[in-house]
Amino acid sequence: MDDKKMEVLQGTLDLMVLKTLSAMGPLHGFGIARRIEQASDGLLDLNEGTVYTALLRLQQQGWIASKWGTSENNRRARFYSITRQGAKQLERETENWERVAGVMQRVLRLERQA
Amino acid sequence: MQKLRMLWARVRGQMAQAREDQSFDEEISEHLALLEARYRAQGMSAQEAARAARRQFGNVTTLKERQRAQRGILSPAEWGRDIRFGLRMLAKRPALNAAMVVALALGIGANTTVFSIVDAVLLRPLPYAHPERLVEVQSWQRMEGFESDSVCYPDFFDWRAQNQSFDHLVSYHDTSLTLTGVQRAVHLDGEVVSWDLLPLLGVTPELGRGFRPEEEKLGTRVALISHGVWVSQFGSDPSVVGRTIHLSGEAYTIVGVMPPAFRFPINAPQNSFWTTLAVDNDGTPKALTANRGSHEMSVMGRLRRGVTTAQADAEMKAIAARLSKQYPETNTKHDTARVESELRATLGDTRTLLLVILGAVALVLLIACGNVGNLLLVRAREREREMAMRSALGANRARLVRQLLVESLMIGLLGGAAGCGVAFAATPAVLRLIGDSVPRAADAGVNLPVLGFALAISLASSLVFGLAPAITSARGDLLSPLKEGGRGETAGRNRLGSAVIVGQVALGIVLTAGAGLLVTSFIHLARTSDGFNPDHVLTFLFETPDSRYANTRPQFYRDYFEKLRALPGVESAGGSILLPMTDNGAHISFENPEHPLPQGQWESATMDVVSPAYFQTMEIPVLAGRDFGDSDTVQSPQVMIVNQAFAERFFPGENPLGKKLRPGTSSGPTRPPAWRTIAGVVGNIRTSATDREMEPMYFLPASQLPNWCCLYSVVRTSVDPLSLESEARNLVASMDGDIPVTDVRTMRDRIGMELAQPRFAMVLLSAFAGLALVLTVVGLYGVMAYSVTRRTREIGVRLALGAPRGTVFEMVLRQAAVLLAAGTGIGIAATLGTEPMLRAFLYGTGARNPVVLAGVCALVAVTGLLAAWLPARRAMRVDPSVALRCE
Repeated sequence: MDDKKMEVLQGTLDLMVLKTLSAMGPLHGFGIARRIEQASDGLLDLNEGTVYTALLRLQQQGWIASKWGTSENNRRARFYSITRQGAKQLERETENWERVAGVMQRVLRLERQA
Repeated sequence: MQKLRMLWARVRGQMAQAREDQSFDEEISEHLALLEARYRAQGMSAQEAARAARRQFGNVTTLKERQRAQRGILSPAEWGRDIRFGLRMLAKRPALNAAMVVALALGIGANTTVFSIVDAVLLRPLPYAHPERLVEVQSWQRMEGFESDSVCYPDFFDWRAQNQSFDHLVSYHDTSLTLTGVQRAVHLDGEVVSWDLLPLLGVTPELGRGFRPEEEKLGTRVALISHGVWVSQFGSDPSVVGRTIHLSGEAYTIVGVMPPAFRFPINAPQNSFWTTLAVDNDGTPKALTANRGSHEMSVMGRLRRGVTTAQADAEMKAIAARLSKQYPETNTKHDTARVESELRATLGDTRTLLLVILGAVALVLLIACGNVGNLLLVRAREREREMAMRSALGANRARLVRQLLVESLMIGLLGGAAGCGVAFAATPAVLRLIGDSVPRAADAGVNLPVLGFALAISLASSLVFGLAPAITSARGDLLSPLKEGGRGETAGRNRLGSAVIVGQVALGIVLTAGAGLLVTSFIHLARTSDGFNPDHVLTFLFETPDSRYANTRPQFYRDYFEKLRALPGVESAGGSILLPMTDNGAHISFENPEHPLPQGQWESATMDVVSPAYFQTMEIPVLAGRDFGDSDTVQSPQVMIVNQAFAERFFPGENPLGKKLRPGTSSGPTRPPAWRTIAGVVGNIRTSATDREMEPMYFLPASQLPNWCCLYSVVRTSVDPLSLESEARNLVASMDGDIPVTDVRTMRDRIGMELAQPRFAMVLLSAFAGLALVLTVVGLYGVMAYSVTRRTREIGVRLALGAPRGTVFEMVLRQAAVLLAAGTGIGIAATLGTEPMLRAFLYGTGARNPVVLAGVCALVAVTGLLAAWLPARRAMRVDPSVALRCE
């Protein structure tokens, strides 16, 4: 279903969005895209529209909430913030990700030795 | 939990689609504006910045679509588009789609029809309060070639007094009495019950009250009447309660009128009155209520709250065992009992039969789904290019699968709607076929639950036949269908289609074999020599009430039969209390001095009471000795006649004539059972259509048993039997104006009624098998024809390279033969596995009849190859130059 051109690893965008919101506090979609761009040193080829798909998904899960505010342009924009449940989920997902990354690292190292 | 939350969010999102769309548009345009501003700040021109922002953001339309899909459950706009597109596709191939809808309509219609009957018979609860606590209690007796579940009154009274399991325990048995003193004497069917029938059922009368406990006492005559009789005989007069009426010469007080829908027992809708068991008590020790040897009652119970059927069963078995020790003379053979759910007991084997039929008809639907699925596969192949094109233009796979599913769903629902039409038309016809051979079937109709069922199976079928083609075609690779000439194909690619055909052939074999067995069995039932000649025989019944004929019955009958024989058109006439092939019979034990046994273990056989000339009239041969005659009277030596099976069972290798037996049949309150001399031996007759062997029977002369009522009149005629009806009625009326003649039917009719259940099972299953066969053959034809079309190019190449036309013809036939052979093999295995389910309904054939199976296989093979014949011929006639040029 997901766009094949996306170079963001499948399933990781939700985690990135959650972490961004947890670290930076309430942000609008544009802001989130900027923070991720910065954090990745511009290495990530992010299709910014997909951020909104992730936001909707996270909101439906109840992990983030949104309310309307005013953007830098002085126009109406929707600001997203992480919920308590979302924070818990972030913790779980982070742990999970670290475990996966750890396993990957070990496996890859194995190959190099062989 | 998280899934539920997601679903809820989506449901809410669905409601707010429009508003969300708008605010999302706003959000996106703000994002784009911010991006643009950023690029402008980096020094781009307005145009460049806008383009870069779009590139950075991605495809807005796709995102919006995805967002909309994620937000709600379904997007009305998109589904609307799918449906409109689906309709266009349906209209584009009307013949193909009509074929699919017809196949489905037949399958769904047949299923809906059968379900409407299953619903009325098996699923609807009994129309009483808390029907789940109603059970049937039987006194279970099993002897050589005979089993009985009837109960005698003394046992019933002991059960009622000793049990802890039931709130109420009620005995019941049918009766029929003549209502006189109204406009015209009428014959009424009724039921003799214990006082607490209404509390047991949880039903209250429409007028008046139910019975009271003291109304079981000797000499009481009270009655509840049906709503129907109240209207037809008493003009709906509310003052009828408390009135005295005359039933067969005795005065009864009407205590109440039952509501219109009331029926008891459930399979006796004709019952018009209910009275208490006081009518079975004449105060003598020989009375039915005092006789532990007369097993004629049924017993129904209401379980106490919290008591299970199994607990009640255990308790009743213990009581029965105790009673058999206490009364060894009568209860040795009735030493156990059985408690069973009331509905199950009422239905008996019919339940299995209906489930078998339901299973069979489900298979028909499965075959129909196979056909539709195969046609859809064909269509999916044709649309490969279209799908590839849409996929290349950006439609994702889920979208394509959904599009195809919508189309399947539309075909399914169209088929379902047409199927409901089929069911509306077919249900009354099937009900006529069933007659009253299935309890409660008459209540069946196409109603809301049945329509719901039709809808459900339409949707389920759509999934069954739609999913595989949808997934196959959505998975298809993008490039090859788009390439020029990508339509050429070689054998073997249509694996799914072939598998479907093999499955259909297998199912078809199972169904056809089942139908074949039932047909074989039915032919056996209808053709078996029943031991008598049922043609040109008129039968009818009238009562000679005890109140007037207790002592004069033999004289009355002698005069009556004499006058009857004198009517023009009558060849001979006689009477019998039970008619052959009607599944009635009293099993009565007898004492045999040559084979002495303790009283409780006497041998027994079916007993009949007949008039002189009964055997002659039925054309039952008298093999030895003589028929009864007018000289056999109460005063003359007591005699009996036995049939051949009786002679063989109880006097093997001996001449039974002159032997003496004492049947436990009294000839009156003051006369104990008499020793009787066997005066004749007659041929065997079948007492029930479904007897597996001829039962031993003995016959007693009605003239020596003046207390036995009532003889069926049996008249052999030289003219159309029914043309004598009015003369017979007039004759009886001329002898006694208060005796209505009832139950006038030809003997052929009676046998027809008796065979109604095997006949309807046979007809239904044959119809289903025929349908299955046609669908399978059409399906096979479709697949073969399609395969030949797809292979035109290949065949052209073969022919061009010099393959003989005969080889091409054989190649196609061989392909069909392989499918048929595989299907037949699986079908035979499945048949051998499943046919034993039919065993209880088969007569004169085993459940694994090799002749039937071979015939069925031959039938399927021949029709299958015929179906492949046409495509094979077309393949043979392919013109290589045309084939090679056209693609």
